[in-house]
Amino acid sequence: MANRVAMKKKKMPVFSVVNAIIFIVLCLIILIPMWKVLVDSFDLKTAYGMKLWPEQFGIAGYKSVFTNPSLYKPFLISVIVTISGTFMGLAISTLGAYVLIQWDLPGRNFFAGFLLFTMIFEGGMIPTYLVVRALHMTNTLWAVTLLPAVNIYDLVLMRNFFEGIPTALFESADIDGCGPVATFFRIVLPLSKAGLASIGLMFAVNYWNNYTNFKLYITNQDLYNFQMKLRSIIMGSDLPQANGGATENTVKNAAVIVAILPFMIVYPFLQKYFVKGINIGAVKE
Amino acid sequence: MSKKIDEQTQKNLAILKEANRRSTLRRIKKYRGFYVMFLPVFILALVFHYIPMIGNYYAFTDYKGIAGAKVNWVGLANFTKMFSMAAFHSAFWNTLFLSITKLLLNTFAAVLISLFLNEIVNIHFKKIAQTIIYLPHFMSWVVTASVFTLILSPTSEGMVNQILVSSGIIDKGIYFLAEDTWWKPMFFVINLWKDTGWGTIIFLATLSGISPDVYEAASIDGAGRFQKMRYITMPALQNTIITVLILNLAKVMNLFESVFVLQNDAVLSTSNVLQTYVYYQTFNSGTIPNYGYTTAVGLTKSVVGCILVLICNWASKKVRDGRGIV
Amino acid sequence: MKKKVLSTLLALTMTASVLTACGSSDSTNTETTTETTEEAAEETAETTEEAEATEETAEAETDVEKPEKITMMVDGTLVTQENGRDEFEAAWEALTGIDLEINQPDHDAYYDQVGQVFASGDLPDVILLDSTRYTSYASMGVLADITDIYEGSDLQARVSAAGNDALIEGIKIDGRLYGFTPTRGNGCVTYVKKAWLDNCGLEAPTTYDEYVAMLEAFTTGDPDGNGVDGDTYGVSAAGFIGGEAPYVNYLPEFYQDAYPGFYQKEDGTWADGFTEDAMKEALQRIADANAAGIIDPETLTNGTSDCRNKFYEDKFGVFTYWAGTWATNLKTNLEANGLDGELVALEPIAEVGNYIERIAPVWCITASCSNVEGVYKYFIETMLDGGDVQMLWQYGVEGVHWSTAAEEVCGNTYAEGEFHMLENLEKEGTQYTKNHLDPNLVLAPLDNDPGAAAIADENKASAETFAANSVVADLPISTDAMQQYNGDLTTLKNELVANVAQGKITVDEAYAQFESEGGAEWSQAIVDSLNQ
Repeated sequence: MANRVAMKKKKMPVFSVVNAIIFIVLCLIILIPMWKVLVDSFDLKTAYGMKLWPEQFGIAGYKSVFTNPSLYKPFLISVIVTISGTFMGLAISTLGAYVLIQWDLPGRNFFAGFLLFTMIFEGGMIPTYLVVRALHMTNTLWAVTLLPAVNIYDLVLMRNFFEGIPTALFESADIDGCGPVATFFRIVLPLSKAGLASIGLMFAVNYWNNYTNFKLYITNQDLYNFQMKLRSIIMGSDLPQANGGATENTVKNAAVIVAILPFMIVYPFLQKYFVKGINIGAVKE
Repeated sequence: MSKKIDEQTQKNLAILKEANRRSTLRRIKKYRGFYVMFLPVFILALVFHYIPMIGNYYAFTDYKGIAGAKVNWVGLANFTKMFSMAAFHSAFWNTLFLSITKLLLNTFAAVLISLFLNEIVNIHFKKIAQTIIYLPHFMSWVVTASVFTLILSPTSEGMVNQILVSSGIIDKGIYFLAEDTWWKPMFFVINLWKDTGWGTIIFLATLSGISPDVYEAASIDGAGRFQKMRYITMPALQNTIITVLILNLAKVMNLFESVFVLQNDAVLSTSNVLQTYVYYQTFNSGTIPNYGYTTAVGLTKSVVGCILVLICNWASKKVRDGRGIV
Repeated sequence: MKKKVLSTLLALTMTASVLTACGSSDSTNTETTTETTEEAAEETAETTEEAEATEETAEAETDVEKPEKITMMVDGTLVTQENGRDEFEAAWEALTGIDLEINQPDHDAYYDQVGQVFASGDLPDVILLDSTRYTSYASMGVLADITDIYEGSDLQARVSAAGNDALIEGIKIDGRLYGFTPTRGNGCVTYVKKAWLDNCGLEAPTTYDEYVAMLEAFTTGDPDGNGVDGDTYGVSAAGFIGGEAPYVNYLPEFYQDAYPGFYQKEDGTWADGFTEDAMKEALQRIADANAAGIIDPETLTNGTSDCRNKFYEDKFGVFTYWAGTWATNLKTNLEANGLDGELVALEPIAEVGNYIERIAPVWCITASCSNVEGVYKYFIETMLDGGDVQMLWQYGVEGVHWSTAAEEVCGNTYAEGEFHMLENLEKEGTQYTKNHLDPNLVLAPLDNDPGAAAIADENKASAETFAANSVVADLPISTDAMQQYNGDLTTLKNELVANVAQGKITVDEAYAQFESEGGAEWSQAIVDSLNQ
C-alpha cells in the first residue's frame, strides 16, 4: 500500500509537466494570430506580412483611439446596458430555469416546449423590427436591453446547473415550510454560484459585444454603444486619413485590442467563482 | 351482465378523471407561485419571438418589404423555386456537414481542454491559461478572417506554407483558402481556434460543482488520475455535454458569419451554406431582397432544425431515464 | 429682427438662383452669370425693409407651398452628430426657414434601416438611395415622379450649364425621373508608382502589350530597388471580379471591352455581356496573366484593405482604385511608410478606351411626402444653389467645419481671409475635407468655390483624368426575372471567373458549365424581360 502511494506520487509530476507543456503550446498557438494584431497596433509603418516586433514603434494608434472624445459616451452606454442587461438576463433565466425543474408542475412540459420553440423558429428581421417599433422601443435602450435578456440557450444551461442541486435539499426546505420564493433565494441561488458566474459572464460578454441590436434599433447617435463606435473605426468608413501620425492600419489594429481590454481587466475578478468546489460547503450542511 | 360491467367501468373512469382533475387543480394551486415566476420570460418570449413569427406567412407570398403594397398569395411557388435550384441543394448539405462537424469538433475539444485544465495544479498558471484561451472569442470574425488569410497565404508571407516549404514537405505554397480540398479542414481549424476556449466556460463551471470529497474518497480507494476522470468527472459532465450539443443543434442551420468571412468565389460550391446562399441571392440580384423567398428558405431551415432537435431529444430521453433536455 | 434677417437671406438665395438660371440658359458665359447674381444680391439687399413682403411675393410667383418641416434620411456621408451635424441642421434651417429632421443611421447599418423604414411605412420626405434600391423602389411606386418638376427648373438649368445633363438622363427609368444625384458617381482609375516606372526605365503604358510588359518588369525585376529581383508583382485586386456593378472596376485592363453583367447596346436592346466572345477573351487574358504570376497570387482572398496595405508596403506597383480623394490618401500613406508617393493616374490604355463610372446615390422624394414640389424646391434644388446652402452641403458650417480666420490648423498656417477646413472634431490631427458633397464631383459647382484652390494636385489630376475618360454604367433595371434569377446567375458567374482565373478549368469548360447549370437559361430569361 505504502509502495503504491509512493509510486503514484512519483507519477504525478510527470503528468503535470506534460500537461503544463500542452497548455503552454496551446496558449502559444492561440496567441500567434493575436500577436500579429498587437504588433501592428504598435507599428507606425503599414505592413501586410507577419512581424515579430514593430518596425517603427509608436503608440499613436492607441492615442488616436483613446483621445477620441466621441468614445466616452458610448463607453458609458455600454457599461449601463451591460450591467442592467446582465441582471435582467440572469433574473429571467434563473426564474425560468427554476420553474423548469419543477417536474410536477402542471404545464411544465408545455412551458419547456414553448421556450425551445423560440430557439428554432424565428420571425425574421423585419417582423421583429415592426414589433419593437409598435412598442415605441426603437431608439430607446429598452430594445437593446430587453431583447437579448430572453436567451433560452442560457436559460436551459442554468436549468442544468439547478438540476445538480440534491433533491433532498428541496424536500427538507419544503418540510421546513419554505415557500418557492424562499427556497429560490435561500437554496437555489446560493448553491449555483459557479452557474451564475458562468451564465452571467456569457450574458455580460453578449451585452458588451452587442452590435446587431444597436444596428437595427438605434439610429440616434447619442445612444450608440462602444462596439458600434469601435466597429466603425475597425471597418474604417473607407475614408482613412493619417491620425496624428498613426496610419489607418495602426488605428484599426489598436481598436481591435481596445475591444478586448475590458474583458482582460474584469475577468480576473470573476475568476474566483470558477475555482473548484466553491459550493460544496452548503451542500454538506 | 356485460352491460352492467361497462356501466361500472365508466363510472369508475369518471371518478378517476374527477380525482385527477382535482389533483391537477390542487397542484396548480400548490405551484401558483411558480406561474408568477415564469411570467417574465413568458411575456417577453411571446412579444419578441411569437408575435414576429406571424411573419413566416410571407414565405407563401411575394412580399417585397413595402408597407401598404399589395401582397399576393403565391402558395408554394417560393418553395418550388428553392428546391429546383442546384445551389440550394449544395448549400443545404454543406450547412448540415459544416455545422454539425464543427459542433462535434468544438464540443469535443472544449471538453478535453476543460478536463486537462481542471488537472492543472498551479493556480496562477491555471488562471493565466484560462484567460488566454478565452481571448479569441473577443476578436470579431472579420478580423479573425483577415489574420488567418495571412497566416495561410500561399506566398512567402504565409507562416504555415513557409514552415512546410522550408521543411521540405511541399515544394510550392498551397492556397489553403482557395482550394476545395483544403477549405473545409481550414474552416474547422479556425473555428476551433476561435470558439473552443470560450466553450470551456460551461464545462469548467460544471466541474467546479463536483465535490473534492468525491475525488478524495476515490483516491483512498486507489483510483488513478485517469480512472477518476473516467468514473467521476465524465459522468458529471455528461448532462452538460448532451444539453450543449442539443441546444446547439437548434442553431445548426444558422451558420453564417464564420463561413461568410472565410469564403471566396473559388470555393463557393464547397463552402456555400444556406445563410450565405440567401445573402448572395439578395446581394447579387441587383434588386431589393425578395422577402417571400428568403422567408421560405428561413422557414425550411427552422423545420430542419426542429427535426434535428426532436430526434436528439428523443435519443437523450432514451439514455437519461425519460428526461429530455428542457 | 431675427425673422427679418432670415427672410432677407431666403429672398436673396432664391432671387439669386432664379437669375443665375436665366443667365446661364441665355449664354454659357459664367462671368455674366456671376455678375448678374451679384447685381441681384445688391438689389435685394437694398430692399431689406421690404424683406417680409419679398418672401410672400417670391412664393406667389412660383406658386409652390413652402413646407414647414422636412424629414430626411441619409447615410454616413453627411457629417455625423459628433462632427457637428446639429450645427449643420441649424444653419440649414436658418437659411431656408424650414424645420429639418435628420435620420442618420450608422453607416454600415444604413440599408438595413432603409429596408425597415419601407417595411414600416413610416417614410421620411427625402431619402438617399443607391442605384439598385433607387430602381427597385421606383418600380414599386414608392418614390415620387419628379420629371415634370425637374424639367425647366432652375436646378436643371444649373446642371445643364455645367454640361452634366447626360448624368441626369442616365438615372431616368423609362424616361421618368424619380430622384436627383447632386454628384457624379466616381469610379476607379489605374495608378502606377512613378518610382517603379523610373527604376525599370519604362514609360506609362498606352496599350495592353505595354501594360503587360510593365507588369512583367514589375514582377521579375527589382522595381522597388531593394536589391532583390522578383519579390514584387505587377498588380493586385480584391477579387478577379467586383461584387457590385460595374464588376470590372478593379482590373479594367484585362476586361477591356468585356462586361460580365447586363448592359444596353447602342440600338437600345439589352444583352448579357457574359455570354459574348469579348468576355471569353477577357477570361483567357486573366487566366494567362495569373498563370504568369503578374497578378497578386492572393487576389481571390484579398480584401480592399489588404490590397491597400500591400500597396503601401511596396509589394506591387499598379493599383486600380478610386479617383479623386483616394489619390491623396494613397500618396499620404506611401509617404508615411517612407516611400515615394508619386503616382501616375493612367489614361485608359487603348483597348480599354474608357473607365466606367458608378451611378451615384440618388436623393429621392418618397410617395408619402405630401408636398413633393415644396420639398423639391426647398431641399433638393437648394442643395446645388451655387450659394450658401450648397456651401453647407459641400463644406459644412463656418466656424465648425471651415473658416477664413488667420490661424494654424493641424500644423498648417492660414492667413486672414484664406479659406481652409478645420480640425476634425472626432479625429485629432486630421482636417475635414468635405461634407456630403464632394467638391470634385458636384454636378453644378459653387458660383465661387473657395475650396477649389485647396484641393490637392494629385486629387484634382486623378479626378480630371477619370472624368475625361469615363462612361457611366447602365442603370440596373429591376424586372421580375431579374429578381428571380439574377442572384443565382451572378453567383455562378463569379464562381466560373474565379475558377478560370485560378486555372482550375479552361474557358471552354467554364462556358459548358454555364450552360449545364442553368446559367445560360437564366441569362436569356432576364435579357428577354429587359427587352420587353
